[in-house]
Amino acid sequence: MEYLYGLIIIVGLYVILATSFNLIIGYGGLVSIAHPVFFALGAYASAVLARDFAVPVPLAMPAGALVALVASIALALPSLRVSGDYLLIASIGFQLGLLEVIKNLRITGGSGGFSNIPPFLIRDVGRESYVGLVLATMVAVILLVRWIARSDYGRAMSAMRDDELAFASIGRNAMWMKIAIFGFGSGIAGLAGALYAHYFRFVTPEQFELVQSAAILTMVVVGGMRTTWGPVVGALLLEALPQALTFLNFPPSILGPVQGLLFTGLVLVFMFFRPQGLVPAQDVWRGARKAGESR
Amino acid sequence: MLDATIILQILWTSLATSSYYVLFAVAFSLVLKVTRLFNFAQAAIMTIAFYTAFVAVQWLEWPAWAAFAAMMAATLAASYGLERVGFEALRKRGVSVMFVFVFTLMVSEFVAYVAMLIFGTWPQTVFPVIFWPVTLVGNIAISAWDLPAIGATVGALALLFVFMRFTRVGAFMTGVADNPDLAELYGINKRRIFLVAMLMAGAFSALGMFLYGTRAQVLPQTGLSLMLFAVAATIMGGIGNVAGAAIAAVILGVIQNASILVISSEWQGFLLYVFLFLAIVFFPNGLRLPQRRGRFAPAAREILSEQDAPAAEA
Repeated sequence: MEYLYGLIIIVGLYVILATSFNLIIGYGGLVSIAHPVFFALGAYASAVLARDFAVPVPLAMPAGALVALVASIALALPSLRVSGDYLLIASIGFQLGLLEVIKNLRITGGSGGFSNIPPFLIRDVGRESYVGLVLATMVAVILLVRWIARSDYGRAMSAMRDDELAFASIGRNAMWMKIAIFGFGSGIAGLAGALYAHYFRFVTPEQFELVQSAAILTMVVVGGMRTTWGPVVGALLLEALPQALTFLNFPPSILGPVQGLLFTGLVLVFMFFRPQGLVPAQDVWRGARKAGESR
Repeated sequence: MLDATIILQILWTSLATSSYYVLFAVAFSLVLKVTRLFNFAQAAIMTIAFYTAFVAVQWLEWPAWAAFAAMMAATLAASYGLERVGFEALRKRGVSVMFVFVFTLMVSEFVAYVAMLIFGTWPQTVFPVIFWPVTLVGNIAISAWDLPAIGATVGALALLFVFMRFTRVGAFMTGVADNPDLAELYGINKRRIFLVAMLMAGAFSALGMFLYGTRAQVLPQTGLSLMLFAVAATIMGGIGNVAGAAIAAVILGVIQNASILVISSEWQGFLLYVFLFLAIVFFPNGLRLPQRRGRFAPAAREILSEQDAPAAEA
């Protein structure tokens, strides 16, 4: 039963990650691969606060999300100031650089990982309650992102993404909108990290490497960008596949690369043959038209 | 205790090791200049280059020259495939720049995982031994690797210069880089020029990887970090400026190596990400050097200032 609870929680957290990443890359049109590092920041910040500074877990969790949000703004502000293209490059550097820092700092436990993270709800109320918490957060995030995408703000996001020049010419500030989307999406990833840390109670920098970036990107691309259910389908499918792989009893040295191959291979195949994903939205990958360009 | 010998030694070693950084930066910058693509798949090309050389030397026990030839052949074939199967199809489809970004990055990661599956996650080198005999010149230790590496890099750069400056294809490349559609109107086959740029970048990446792999250990993910260094140098050098990227690579290489004087070695790798971030934040358009003054510049300035003067008064 414990295995099943763990699995449900992992799937729930990946649905949260994929949905929030869809907000950034799909609805916002901002290409970054650093989503796992905000997941990591939320996990580490909440874990360190709860274990080493005795902050109560219900406070440490939102603090973890806040740290991820602030860090994401620190990444987005300078790179978006120049151009949207630089966000991707900056995000790769940010992710690998921050993981390097986590591996070298004593407060984060270095490359050995951070253990003995205080649990939440599990001992007092039972594991089921934590499953409920994660699933409730998941549903809330899905509904929230869906609501944002369909609101006036969502229509403004589409306008900004599809024709930034026209968007700016009606007096809207595209950069602040991008930063708001990026910060909010990353903050949700941070919250997912905090939820992860206080259930599994151990985190290592290795869990947030580029394979995770590929995994989350695959969930969104394979599921279907700019749709509510695409990332959910993608996360369910792509969490089920590696679980199936674990039953094949590959040694750990093979399992990691096989999962990586699966994720990156699926992204490539879908990008070429079904760029709209399993749950299609329209015109997902079409480039924003330049001013004056006719169809 | 710091003295002149130590400083000179570090400067020399940094200069020698920046040879491969220069090659990676030139490759990245050349593709960006001609095809306007941030080709993150260069890391995949670099990984293929290294592991081909590794297999040829360590598994098949081929001599170094044969391994080098096999590596070049594999790299050129991979670059050809990437351009013809990948980029051409994406260009035809008219996808966004972001799509190409993600595509190239995924190609690099895919190749890294294939390498991980075949070669494992432990470090490898081209030759079994990476310690080269050392000769003392003055008090400076010069390894038997240093001079051939610098020589190969300078030779490759000289060839590139001659190619770009004095051959028709080189001139076409500049034309396509400047305005691909206009170049096509003049009868230049832009498809062919894109391919030439990719092949040249492949050859530079392979040479760089051979030099790197004969001196340092390589992991399947090493290509990606080395490429990020090239990206930082390309941004600092100014996008579209290949020579600028090469100079920036030398400067960054020397700073990274010389940093051992002030920071501990485990933080040295972190410097790369600092460079990348600084490049994007402070030098997004490259480091601006003072404008070169031509022979007639003072006279021209006088004429211009005379012309401007009445306007200013008005």
